Amino acid sequence: MNEIETILIIDDELQIRRLLEITLSANGYKILQAGNGKDGLVDAATYHPSLIILDLGLPDIDGQEILKKLREWFFKPIIILSVRSSEEDIIKALDNGANDYLTKPFRSGELLARIRAAIRAGEKKNDAPILEFGSLSIDMINHVARKNKEILKLTTTEFSLLCLLAKNQGRVLTHQYILKEVWGYGYLEQTQYLRVFVAQLRKKIEDNPSKPTLLITESGIGYRFGD
Amino acid sequence: MTIFYFWDVMNEKGIIKHTYFPDFNSRIKHYVLAFVVIGVTTLICTPLANTESYHVVSFILLFIVSILATFMGIGPVLMVSTLSALVWNFFFIPPHYTFHIDKAEDLLMFGMFFIIALVNGVLTTKVRRQERLAREREERTNALFQLTRELSKASGIDEVLAVAIEGIKNHFRTDPFFILQDGNNILHSSGRLQKEKKLTQKEYSVAEWVFTHSRKAGKFTDDSPSVEYTFFPMNGTRLNPGVVAVKLEQLFSGDQKAFWDTFLTQISNALEREFLGELAQKARFLVESDRLYKTLFNSISHELRIPVATIMGASDSLLNSPHPGNVQSALFNEIFTATLRLNRLIENLLNMSRLESGQISVRLDWYDMNDLVNKVAEDLKDELKSFSLLVSIPDEMPLVKIDYGLMEQVLYNLIFNATQYAPVNSNIDLCILHDNGEVIIQVKDHGPGFPEEVMGNVFKKFFRVDTSKTGGLGLGLSIVKGFVEAHKGTVTVGNRKNGGSEFTIRIPTENPDIKNLQLDSE
Repeated sequence: MNEIETILIIDDELQIRRLLEITLSANGYKILQAGNGKDGLVDAATYHPSLIILDLGLPDIDGQEILKKLREWFFKPIIILSVRSSEEDIIKALDNGANDYLTKPFRSGELLARIRAAIRAGEKKNDAPILEFGSLSIDMINHVARKNKEILKLTTTEFSLLCLLAKNQGRVLTHQYILKEVWGYGYLEQTQYLRVFVAQLRKKIEDNPSKPTLLITESGIGYRFGD
Repeated sequence: MTIFYFWDVMNEKGIIKHTYFPDFNSRIKHYVLAFVVIGVTTLICTPLANTESYHVVSFILLFIVSILATFMGIGPVLMVSTLSALVWNFFFIPPHYTFHIDKAEDLLMFGMFFIIALVNGVLTTKVRRQERLAREREERTNALFQLTRELSKASGIDEVLAVAIEGIKNHFRTDPFFILQDGNNILHSSGRLQKEKKLTQKEYSVAEWVFTHSRKAGKFTDDSPSVEYTFFPMNGTRLNPGVVAVKLEQLFSGDQKAFWDTFLTQISNALEREFLGELAQKARFLVESDRLYKTLFNSISHELRIPVATIMGASDSLLNSPHPGNVQSALFNEIFTATLRLNRLIENLLNMSRLESGQISVRLDWYDMNDLVNKVAEDLKDELKSFSLLVSIPDEMPLVKIDYGLMEQVLYNLIFNATQYAPVNSNIDLCILHDNGEVIIQVKDHGPGFPEEVMGNVFKKFFRVDTSKTGGLGLGLSIVKGFVEAHKGTVTVGNRKNGGSEFTIRIPTENPDIKNLQLDSE
């Protein structure tokens, strides 16, 4: 890591902020803290952190509102860390521009992994002609995917699905978003299409399709392209 | 002459309605008939006019009057008596065609004829009226009997009200409006069964007055006669169920009043019975929920204290005394395990309260069962370390329509349970299949199974097998049942032949619509 990454934590619970500061500092991050939404917005504008960890249940401004306001000018990763575990809230936050989410209580190892993935994905040039993920490589120009150097037989839809997820590596994409991008607006309710294609794609690209590491299911929310 | 009696008119349903005045209009036929009969009799008897046997005519006429009196009202009978006397005098008593009577004995005869005809007619009507009153009384007795029987059959306030409304409609020709109290001696302002009816502010205050004073008020009474309704109190022996409002044309009087009072007493008693029943049930419910509350409180405080004590003890030890590395990590491990346990407890309590409050809304979507199983196996990977989870899902398993979050919890609880009771290094089988529009999920372990006598209680809240080695509130399986039933599915439990328990979930599902899929993909 060339420079120290700064992480802004917006959470009203002092104990959670303290825990995060201890854990994240120990892992080489510089930590900024804000106890409410207003301060959070000011700090984000003043210090331009590399990543923001945002709680949805803040005392002054609703977390979703802060998310919308931040996304007007802040394009670095935002991770939601909240006790609200209802799928609707999470989907809404992802639609409002959050990159990822974790519900409290969480495992710090998991949080660190998500932070690393989000920062890495932000640095990566998504317009690179060839994306590589271990033994899998995706050639955007020639529309070809290779596994262990062998060309995979993918249908057009399978390839667009793979590209969409791979370009957004580490980021959770909601069902609706994927359906809209790959199939179009008329298919927003056709989750079954997505399921079938993900299952087909897993058989082609995963080492062990029943224990996927690339096409990861996010319970009831969507999919994420793993490392 | 008393004519202010009830006169009966049978309506088309055969139900007797009561009015207060003789119905002259509909009796015109009777007047005409009486007139014609007397006319015809007179004509037939004309040959006797000039003979000495004109007295016979008087008997014939008396006979006719008696016959007519048996089925005609008092009006036609009076007319027919007078008319026959006059006709006899005019046509038959010499000198003919005058009302003059020559002989003293004929005058006497005429006078007696007139009186006999009148008495005969009036007496017959009177007998008929008595008979009619008796019939009315019998009908009222029958009505009351029927009401009592139906009221005793009715269970619940709503059914009693329905019977009462129907009864009053049938027997009093008015649509009653029952205003009941809420159990705390405060009247509702709208009907319990009659939601469309609502009292105005003024009517409501009259109803309240009637309720508190137990006296009738409203139209045709001394108190607040300006409102449309007449309000009658319903008085029970231990509590007053409420007030009944009726729209009347005139206040009940005489027999009708007695009938109404008895009718209302029956209804009041039935309502009171139901009110007391409801109160008793509420009391029972309170006792039951009090018991549940105590159980919950006891076990929650126990379940919370154990992990909190672990965390406190272990962290205190770590903070205050130096430990070698392996002891340190053992203590950290204890803390972590305790927090997982706390987290599970909170999760179960939240799910239970969602179930209890009826806030479970099932959001169905298509899911791949493999995803579900992977997720649960991942979440339970620590618990499953010393077990082999054998998953069997057929390759051709279609997508199923479920609520992912709920089913995840269901599978989690079942597999977690298996890891708590089955011996270490044993197999836990998870079989998922699709059969005849149902998805079938089976979780089997090699644990001790359940004793036969507790099989019926396995899914009950706070139920725990006494030999439970592990902690827990006994909520896990009742959550499983609640969530599966939210999917309109069933869950059953049994013991396996060679030991261990076997849970079977069946959830109805449809086949996904993926007909056009292959076309799209190529």
